[in-house]
Amino acid sequence: MNLMANILLNVLIAFLIGSLLLGLYRKVVARVQTRPGPPIIQYLLHLLKFYIKESSFTKTAAMPFYLGIASIMMVIWITAVIVGPVVQGSLLIIFAVYALHKIVEHNAGSSSGSPYGKLSCVRAVYSAAAEVPLFSVLVIIYLKTGSMGIADIINYQAVHGPLLYSIPLAAAMFFVLIVSKAQYTPFSITKGKDIVSGYETEHYGLLRGYLMISESIMWYMLLWVFLTVFLGALGPLWLLIGMVVMTVGIAFISATSPLLNPNHSVVLQIIFAAIGIIGSILLMNVI
Amino acid sequence: MDLIIYLAYILSFVIGMIVGLLLSYKKYTEPFVSKNIDVVALVISIIGWILLLNSQLIMLIPQYISITVGLFFVATVLGMRPGYGRYELAIGFVVSGLIWLVGMVLL
Repeated sequence: MNLMANILLNVLIAFLIGSLLLGLYRKVVARVQTRPGPPIIQYLLHLLKFYIKESSFTKTAAMPFYLGIASIMMVIWITAVIVGPVVQGSLLIIFAVYALHKIVEHNAGSSSGSPYGKLSCVRAVYSAAAEVPLFSVLVIIYLKTGSMGIADIINYQAVHGPLLYSIPLAAAMFFVLIVSKAQYTPFSITKGKDIVSGYETEHYGLLRGYLMISESIMWYMLLWVFLTVFLGALGPLWLLIGMVVMTVGIAFISATSPLLNPNHSVVLQIIFAAIGIIGSILLMNVI
Repeated sequence: MDLIIYLAYILSFVIGMIVGLLLSYKKYTEPFVSKNIDVVALVISIIGWILLLNSQLIMLIPQYISITVGLFFVATVLGMRPGYGRYELAIGFVVSGLIWLVGMVLL
């Protein structure tokens, strides 16, 4: 298939599945808390609604940065789709995308001029201190498989079995990283309820639409990377089942646990990272 | 080609959910309290689940078409106003599961 068509189809699939999974996430959270909750399609409808609403910009916005940052966020996650499902390239680029996402969170918050956005911007920097060590899971994968290439990691698992069994602590670390990106979990301090919508608070209309599209693609990609890197090449049905199971699991965590304050959240994640890194290296020497 | 078919499945599911949501809000003006079974939704659910789960048994139409149509029908019931369509969806799944069991395992 033509590369451009392949990219377009994969991005569309990532966007639609990601939107539905985020809708399911909200539904499960609501059901756990004995509320009826919105329909599963709500996230997608919400997103489409922003596209036809008038865009307005705050007086305090730092132009043109404020406009550009929403588009940049979409570009980086489309890049992740190209590197992941399309060409099965290097995990290092996925890491770069993740690091850029932290920078975008920071800049989206600061460029709006909103105090909520600025708090989210500070928290984005603060949480990077904990989330980036969690991404050191890549080093553990490299030590185990001898490669950073997704295609090589898939081939390694085809021969030696899923990495989930041989480096479970690394998988747990990556899972915590995904939890930190989900809404209203103990670690999602950049969009905590106490700062309204965090860095998105002052983004309306088309810009919010861009941010929501990026988030749906991000959710799909985080789950795709986890399932592919720790379970191997899955068929579309098993991939979808895996994504639904993980989304429901994280929604349960979100619905039943409190939002931590930034200090506690970061310290807890650093503890997870330390246990994960040291434990994985010890386990690799033992097994 | 596979990706195009997957996209068709997803689009069919999304459109089905939107149609279900719009029609059910038009049909039911109050929240889900009476817990009656909607016969139309039940029939749609049974047809949808049968087309989706038993696509291998249906020889007349290509598998991808039966799955696409099945997903549309199932999504129409799944996407109904919160509360509505739950029982219909579960009954449809059980009926279709029984047909699958008879068709694939017993025969």
